[in-house]
Amino acid sequence: MPRLAAAAILWFGLWLPPLRSGLESDMALHMTVQIPLLALVGILIAPEVRRFEPRWLAEADWLGIPGIVLVLFSTSYWMLPVALDSALGDWRMEVAKFVSLPLLVGVPLGLSWQRMPPLGRLFVIANIISKVGALGGLYLAAPIRLCAYYRLDQQAEAGSALLAVTTAAILGAFLASFFGWSWRRPFPDAWKGRRAVATAADASPSLPT
Amino acid sequence: MTRGFLPLLAFVIATGLASLGFATSGFRVITTEGARRLAVEHHPRAVPDVVLVDQDGKRFTFSTYRGKALLVEFIYTSCPTICGVLGDDFGHVLATLRQDGGTSGVDLLSISFDPARDGPPALRSYAGRFGASAPGWRIAVPATREGLRALLKSFGVVVIPDRFGGFTHDAAVYLLDGQGRLVRILDAGPPATLLAEAAHAVS
Amino acid sequence: MSAHAGRADIAGARDGETAARAVELAYIAVAAIVLLLMMLFGLTMRATQAQYLDVQPRLFYVLLTMHGAGMVGIAGVAGAVVMWHFVRRHVPVSTTVFLANLVLFLIGAVLILGSGFIGGFAGAWTFLYPLPAHSNGVWSANAAAAYMLGLLVIGVGFLLLHLDVLRGIWRTYGSLANGLGLKQAIGLAPEKTGPPPAVPAATMASIVNVLGIVIGAVVLILSLVNLYVPSFTMSALVAKNLIYFFGHVFINATIYMAVIAVYEILPLYAHHRWNTNRLFYAAWVASTVMVLIVYPHHLLMDFAMPPWALVVGQIISYLSGLPVLLVTAFGALTVVHRSGLRWDVPSGLCFVGVLGWAAGVIPAIADGTIVVNSVMHNTQWVPGHFHTYLLLGTVAMFLGYMTWTAKEVPHETIGTEPAAFWLYVGGGIIFVVAFLAAGSASVPRRYAVHLAPWLTYDRIGSLGALLVVLGVGIMVVQFLVRVPALARLPTTTTAQPLPEAAAE
Repeated sequence: MPRLAAAAILWFGLWLPPLRSGLESDMALHMTVQIPLLALVGILIAPEVRRFEPRWLAEADWLGIPGIVLVLFSTSYWMLPVALDSALGDWRMEVAKFVSLPLLVGVPLGLSWQRMPPLGRLFVIANIISKVGALGGLYLAAPIRLCAYYRLDQQAEAGSALLAVTTAAILGAFLASFFGWSWRRPFPDAWKGRRAVATAADASPSLPT
Repeated sequence: MTRGFLPLLAFVIATGLASLGFATSGFRVITTEGARRLAVEHHPRAVPDVVLVDQDGKRFTFSTYRGKALLVEFIYTSCPTICGVLGDDFGHVLATLRQDGGTSGVDLLSISFDPARDGPPALRSYAGRFGASAPGWRIAVPATREGLRALLKSFGVVVIPDRFGGFTHDAAVYLLDGQGRLVRILDAGPPATLLAEAAHAVS
Repeated sequence: MSAHAGRADIAGARDGETAARAVELAYIAVAAIVLLLMMLFGLTMRATQAQYLDVQPRLFYVLLTMHGAGMVGIAGVAGAVVMWHFVRRHVPVSTTVFLANLVLFLIGAVLILGSGFIGGFAGAWTFLYPLPAHSNGVWSANAAAAYMLGLLVIGVGFLLLHLDVLRGIWRTYGSLANGLGLKQAIGLAPEKTGPPPAVPAATMASIVNVLGIVIGAVVLILSLVNLYVPSFTMSALVAKNLIYFFGHVFINATIYMAVIAVYEILPLYAHHRWNTNRLFYAAWVASTVMVLIVYPHHLLMDFAMPPWALVVGQIISYLSGLPVLLVTAFGALTVVHRSGLRWDVPSGLCFVGVLGWAAGVIPAIADGTIVVNSVMHNTQWVPGHFHTYLLLGTVAMFLGYMTWTAKEVPHETIGTEPAAFWLYVGGGIIFVVAFLAAGSASVPRRYAVHLAPWLTYDRIGSLGALLVVLGVGIMVVQFLVRVPALARLPTTTTAQPLPEAAAE
């Protein structure tokens, strides 16, 4: 329940005019703070939503693939300059943003992530890093204004901010994997050395005679 | 693979593609500017017939221009940057029109979105800078705030404050046809291109 | 997996072994065939420069681009099969992912070959921004896009493979630092507890390749956007940095994967364990960092680069290959020394691989010096140095692994193996020396048409290339005729004695 409360406070806080207009007045804050926080609202409520998730849906979300594809589409949508503009210029789209980012990004991410095999998770992380980096590069160097509501210098700042996020994500992922930090559980016998298990062993040719 | 996986995946992909396609006008535009141009091109729109005041203090409306093509641009007279380029461009268009004898049925209109500062004296001084004179090229400001708001909304013009007490705004040229409909949004550019489009719109 | 493996488990494991073996054979076959094809492209180019052949410049530059992209890609595939085969003895990895990488590689290869031979794309394998978008009508945006999409698809495959290997290492050793042997390197754990040599190599190659591919994907996406929306530009210098980071890391990783063949095959012959001491682990840790930061040595000619980056590039390029190379060369010598090792083609190729790598580093160090690079960079000196450690290093190690795999099925009718070995080694030396000599005589690289005074080098180089093609061709055919029999060999489910266990 504290999660739900935190999610509710976060959501309403983001909606309140000072925070909302403050974050939206700047393209970088809009893209790297407001949108991720709205998705976080969904991640926070995902465990509660899970209790109501119909069985058939949980089953159909095989390896979390449909859920992650939904997340990729929803995030791609809100990365479009035309979509950002629409949320600023039309209150209905703003409502759509505040509803869709938690429900179509956060919640499916929270639900499907658990179902993904480790390799799938790593692949998704690597993909998102590339995508955000490319977007940052585009915004940093685009000679034309892409958003009607933001100035060119704000756009370049947003590009730098996205590149900073990319760099931080690469470093974070690298350090985490390098030193063995895991957000799920520490690995047993972290330091036992190799295990020559039967299936991993090889039927290689024996010593030359 | 579980039962229901493929249908669910197909549903997600189809909905996702549909919404991306919708937002990008069929994967053709990613910016508001692009969307606006495409929308106007496919569905010319009527503009509200608001009352404007020109550099001579005369009141007029868009219906004054019925039967002629009208090139419109949005400016503010204290603009230190792009409006000067826009003014020069319209000046070249006017010169070209005069060379052709002024019979091409094209008029020019620069609309200020800064009524606070742009009264008739400011408009007159701007007109003087670029050699504009009514009725061939009016420098005007909407008579009311409501009129300005309605105008910006229907043209799809977004004006945001810059950090130096001025505004950031687009540098497009809007083409209205003989029935007063917005039919094209063009880049400011060589007079010949603008006039060719205008001639096309009026015929 | 478990100690209570029932009969069904054993059957399942046997199926798993058979599948893994089949995919490995497919990798080797694909690598061998594409390698030979790309060598033929190379021979065609050298013979054109030598004026033995009359290939039009347009086609020449397509061949240049295809040869570059194809060789880099196939070196990756060759390295991947060596790494996967040996690392699989120590950590759990997925055969499905391994196969997916091969399938994606083939899809990407079709896109790339199509972009060149149908679309005429000839922007060199480095697709240096903004060249792909400015073809002057020689190729279309679609051709350039097909090329870049091909690279992206191949990148996705390798990303999956390396992530899977890292996941397996992580699961078994708890962290990538443990996979590298960092604790042993800095003396926090006894040397004996360190991972077997294949593991640090696989860890290092996979870490750098994941980073390289993620960065490469960024610049590929940006270049693709630029092709279709030219108003989206980027800084050409930043793009070059990103491209060379990606390209440098990927091609370097191929040798760090292929060298596993040396660590695993030579000890089998010598009955002598590979000495994984503290220095060995330290070398792999150091090389991991250095490979990532040395790439500016590809930009020594770019005066717009910040000078400190170039100085770093110069200093690190003196050091970058060295740690692993030294421990490998020294290790190989200690393994071989007084071992009574019976030389044959596979062991010989593995040993040649180490020597070729070592020899290639010498001209590379000359080239990594800023003042030399300013003069030599656009001469054949550079292809000379990278062909030394790719043709006589990476390729030799892969061929060693390939012929070692083929040894399991004796083929009485073919007795040409030693001849093929000598054709390849001799031809390879002639080929790279011709490049290096031409480079020191200032013959430019990447020219379709050569002046008369350069022809001698080209003709000697062509002869070398022809001998290499003959030698490698014989080895490849010998492998391919054995593939059906190799696929039918029974596989065992019991753990094979590992080299170090076998040695004691």
